Amino acid sequence: MERGNSVSKFTATAVLLTLLTAARPALAGEQLVLIVSASSKIEQLDSLEVRKLFLGLTVTHNGNRLRPVLNEADDHVKEIFLQNIVSMSDITYDRRLLRLSLIQGQTQPTAYKSITLLINSVAADPSAVSYAWAKDVAHETRIRILRVLWYD
Amino acid sequence: MPTLSLRIPWLCLVTSLIWVNSAFAQHEHSSSEFEVFVAAEAFHGTGQTHAGDADPWIDADLVFGLTQHQFRVFGEYYITPDERDLERFQMGFEFVPDTVLWLGRFHQPASAWNTEHHHGQYLQTDITRPYIERWEDEQGIIPQHITGLLLESRQSIGNDGAIQFYGGIGAAPALTNGALDAIDLIGSNPGRHRLSVTARLAYLPEYVGATSMGLLFGHDALTASNARILPSLRSNQADLSIYGAYIDWNEEPWRIVGATYYVDVKLDQTTRNESFISGYLQVERQLLKQFTIFGRIEDSARMQESRYVALFNDRDGDIEIALHRKALGLRWDYTRRQALTIELSHVVSLDQRSNEVRAQWSAAIP
Repeated sequence: MERGNSVSKFTATAVLLTLLTAARPALAGEQLVLIVSASSKIEQLDSLEVRKLFLGLTVTHNGNRLRPVLNEADDHVKEIFLQNIVSMSDITYDRRLLRLSLIQGQTQPTAYKSITLLINSVAADPSAVSYAWAKDVAHETRIRILRVLWYD
Repeated sequence: MPTLSLRIPWLCLVTSLIWVNSAFAQHEHSSSEFEVFVAAEAFHGTGQTHAGDADPWIDADLVFGLTQHQFRVFGEYYITPDERDLERFQMGFEFVPDTVLWLGRFHQPASAWNTEHHHGQYLQTDITRPYIERWEDEQGIIPQHITGLLLESRQSIGNDGAIQFYGGIGAAPALTNGALDAIDLIGSNPGRHRLSVTARLAYLPEYVGATSMGLLFGHDALTASNARILPSLRSNQADLSIYGAYIDWNEEPWRIVGATYYVDVKLDQTTRNESFISGYLQVERQLLKQFTIFGRIEDSARMQESRYVALFNDRDGDIEIALHRKALGLRWDYTRRQALTIELSHVVSLDQRSNEVRAQWSAAIP
């Protein structure tokens, strides 16, 4: 009885580990990551710098002004961006960007609805900073992941 | 400050365009911005009131900007059926992040309202602006458009906060018949334009937040350039000193905006100086389904005794100078970048009382 119990525990653990291993790619797909061009010299950006950048304030690295690029490829990414990065509702964020234009003529961030176009844009500009699902950029050699912004 | 001739603003304009063009030519990329804010308004007032200069039935505000590394060029062109004005034209250089020195025609930073909303109606929740914040061509009594240098800076303080400073120096409007006449970059400039010094020192609890509060200061030397002003004002010049405080508090779904100004009017030594106070408090609350309700109270003290203020009241039927006003309204952002607003107000002016209703459609394009 005692021995049978040990075998059951072993089997259960093995099944659990197998399931977890099988689930890893799915979990990795639910990570939103901060990305730059592979040729970018940016090493890291903290949360405040990321927020400043996407709210239209000036963020520089080695004297170069960074350029925010919005990912609007799917609604879930936009929702996470609004909730976790800029902490604003959609309408408030839109007005904030419009206000920047009105107050100083500041250029609004470029937005892409296609992940391919977004990756091409970021890859081509060492000053560009954006965000994307980890699975969309995992095998993209022209893109470098700075860190995870959000995970499920 | 010596009288500025027409040539000086034009020289600034041309020089800056050449400067910016050459600066941009040295770089590979530049980014540009173009937005249009449009609005259409219907107005009804009791008694003798009718829509004034501040209530055009349609208006468009064109905003354009270019940014290239530390260089910036920015303009705002405002169009109504009766008016076409280059309201702002500024060339800037960003020395360090969030510290910019501008040259050109700008909105003076000691106005809590106008530096936030400028001429774009869509970004203003309500339809009207407080009377004390009116533009010069709407019989505004405080100079709002200055041509010269503007320094703006935002620097971190503490863990999350920031200190924001604006300082402007340049040519003030001239005091013509019943209105202040600011330097016009593309038109004629009658009258004598003397020195204006304005400043704002603000605290932001969050560096990236929209909440701020601070102190305002302005000093404008005005010279009367019309013989008809002399009998009314009994002075050739009026030097305004403005001291104010403001708060713009944002905590969704609430917003509270309030400002108060103490205005000291120094006249020629042969006459008595005068002063008055004006202020307002506006509360906004977002509701469900993109509705926003708002209310504003404006009040003043000693404005009715001021000879300077009386200069701006031309008794043509529209209310130029309000002593008190209560306004209540509802805005509906029914789709992206378009809104419908209705505003009811009760106004006590220098010579009449009126109830007014306004309805407005406003939008931002694209």
